[in-house]
Amino acid sequence: MEILAVRDLSFTYAGNTEPTIENVCFSLEKGDFVAVCGATGSGKSTLLRCLKPELRPTGELSGDILLGSEPVDSLDRRAGASRIGYVMQRPEQQIVTDKVWHELAFGLENLGVKTDVIRRRVSEMAAYFGIESWFDRSVSTLSGGQKQLLNLASVMVMQPEVLILDEPTAQLDPIAASEFIATVAKLNRELGLTVIIAEHRLEDVVPASCKLLALRDGRVAAFGSTRQAAAELFGDGLLLGGMPAALRLGAALGEKENCPLTVSEGRRFIENSFDNRISSREHCREAVSGEKVLEFSDVFFRYERALPDVLRGLSFYARAGEVFCILGGNGSGKSTALFAAAGVNRPYSGKISVLGKNIRKYPGQSLYKNCVALLPQDAQTLFLCNTVAEELKDAGVTPEELPFDLGGLLARHPYDLSGGQQQLLALAKVLAAKPKILLADEPTKGLDAEAKMIVGNIFRSLSRTGKAVVVVTHDIEFAASVADRCAMFFRGEITSCDVPERFFADNSFYTTAANRMTRGYYSGVVTVEDAAELCRANGRKRP
Amino acid sequence: MGFFESGNPVCVFVYFMAVSLCAMFSVEPVTVAISLLGAVVTRLCLGGRGHWREHGFALALFLGGTVINPVFNHNGTTVLFFVNDNPITLEALFYGAVSSGAIVAVIYWFRAFSAVMTGDRLLYVFGVFSPKLALMLSMALRYIPLFGEQARKVDIARKVSGAGGGDSLPDRIRSKLGVFWVMVTWTLENGIVTADSMEARGYGCGRRSFFSLYRFRPWDGAALGASLLLFGLFCAAKAAAALDFQFYPTFAFGEGGIMSGVGRGAYFLLAFMPAVIKAGEEIKWKFLRSGI
Repeated sequence: MEILAVRDLSFTYAGNTEPTIENVCFSLEKGDFVAVCGATGSGKSTLLRCLKPELRPTGELSGDILLGSEPVDSLDRRAGASRIGYVMQRPEQQIVTDKVWHELAFGLENLGVKTDVIRRRVSEMAAYFGIESWFDRSVSTLSGGQKQLLNLASVMVMQPEVLILDEPTAQLDPIAASEFIATVAKLNRELGLTVIIAEHRLEDVVPASCKLLALRDGRVAAFGSTRQAAAELFGDGLLLGGMPAALRLGAALGEKENCPLTVSEGRRFIENSFDNRISSREHCREAVSGEKVLEFSDVFFRYERALPDVLRGLSFYARAGEVFCILGGNGSGKSTALFAAAGVNRPYSGKISVLGKNIRKYPGQSLYKNCVALLPQDAQTLFLCNTVAEELKDAGVTPEELPFDLGGLLARHPYDLSGGQQQLLALAKVLAAKPKILLADEPTKGLDAEAKMIVGNIFRSLSRTGKAVVVVTHDIEFAASVADRCAMFFRGEITSCDVPERFFADNSFYTTAANRMTRGYYSGVVTVEDAAELCRANGRKRP
Repeated sequence: MGFFESGNPVCVFVYFMAVSLCAMFSVEPVTVAISLLGAVVTRLCLGGRGHWREHGFALALFLGGTVINPVFNHNGTTVLFFVNDNPITLEALFYGAVSSGAIVAVIYWFRAFSAVMTGDRLLYVFGVFSPKLALMLSMALRYIPLFGEQARKVDIARKVSGAGGGDSLPDRIRSKLGVFWVMVTWTLENGIVTADSMEARGYGCGRRSFFSLYRFRPWDGAALGASLLLFGLFCAAKAAAALDFQFYPTFAFGEGGIMSGVGRGAYFLLAFMPAVIKAGEEIKWKFLRSGI
């Protein structure tokens, strides 16, 4: 049964002459799980917001949007609010009230539902989402993943027919993101809920989806069943960038018929279609031999006397001219270590030396002058001014001397930029202090594939000019492509550290998808390009 | 958990309002004594023993009030002794003791009140009277820690990114002011997201209902009824001038007859209600445990 139909939808923002989305047509069956993909600025958010009249931006809309058989604009506000659920990007700011239970009840209170009914629905949802154990807590004590799950649950209590999610996992770490997507997929599977989800990171979303809607410059580039629509995108590097590794491998090898989507499908695809006469790639990045500019020796740190140690005898070094990536789970202390290197967290035992000098011997702000700079996780924390031009002026740089182009954005407000553009502006501000050591905390969070690539290239070129770049990240694929050395952080110390080829070859779980797909068949594969190269060298099996 | 710790907050609130209003309008030695004793016992029953300083302060206030009144007030006929040719009278001393006893009793009632009425429960009480106000308070309570956390992040981010400026005082002031302005922008920007989120969930599409985790059980009704009834009896006695007392020039009880007994009895029951309920619960538990 058709539940949502969009016909010839165009939307032009007030004040613009060019439409942001144009002639968009698609229709969804009840119980569909649709992944919406597209580069930054392709109109994904605009399209999703158009579907929910309460959130539609001001501007001119033409075409029809039908929910069931009624136009969405003719729904009264109560019906509109409950029949279409909407979850947005930022977990923090979507939460309205101070307690978990109150947040769950908020939507139903707005509809004037009776207390008994609210009590039943809230308890039902809390049990379904596993929220019971933190039902009474204040929302400020929750983790990012829990907050986003709460946002989802508090939309679900209103029993929507269609659930729209606009980049819901952009601010989450990969583990929380996978869990969140798994919950959405479960809702779709078990309740037959229709889901429309837009994401940059599609590794988890695409395998769970049954349809794919790709947007390019505000127009539909492809729409159809996931495998079929994905095959239409093979030429488009930008759109493919965020896709699962198996799909990218299929694209690189031109497998249009039966393109693999998951690691296990990718594995089967390689083993069935390609030989392994040539089974290893003997190409290894060489370790950089610059001097050690940042060195931790036996560092112990805890936040408060009564709390347990976060860093337990941490020792590592970073050399000038290398990109050093620290990987590890949530709460393993990675970010704590980074803030220790930036002089914010003071260890109670052990020594941190920066450029050969103990970090304690840098008085006042001198550590941050031409020496160490940290790129924070949330780029917005760095913005002070009303326009990009003022930001750059405040930092003391001109747009021309930047290694990347911000020229077209000078008049915009920093908060109005896309995630990728915000990250570049933050980098511009941080690099203005001309640091010899750049520390980056989760620099790829919320970025699309293109922005990730740009950030990676900046890190590479910084290291070529003799700077040390220390990156703390969850993003294994990113680390594999930019790092000179990778390290695994576990329980407050570094447990293994090597060049990416050897590091990822030795790990079996904490490794790239390309490595997992080829393990035991080929060796030394880290990226999708490596795998594709080996497959091509071997050639197709003859049927 | 007993009625006062986990009963319906509105009933608990009404009880405390009733008992502390009575305490405030008690001027007669017997009711003041009931109030003081009841307040101290209630405070000890609910929410732990309290710090010794808390009780020390109350004792000091009581003794101080008792001693200071006769020093400045020389009314009364029974002179005890003279200080610098000024008579210190029994009546003034007694008046000091009764009035400071009344003050200390009110303090103890409020302490017991705040020990039991946590932020959540108070919010619920507001909500019953005005759901709008309750939502606003809840949003404010949500926003304050969020603001603090973000301000801290901005401060650190500025510092470690090298944008924090120098070490001189003007530089540091400029930096803190910068943080403040960032927070203003951030608040406005993120307010839009919150507003969208409210709108998307149907805020403002009609009359809101008010949900809370608290229920109204028969026991709550009984406690509410008892509180109101006893409060009513006290008020009636008060209106009949049965609970008046004359200190100067000589002590004299009001002309109450039976009503003064009713008023005192009602107040006695009201003031010792928490202690009685608590004791009842203790006994029930003991009984249940021995039954297992």
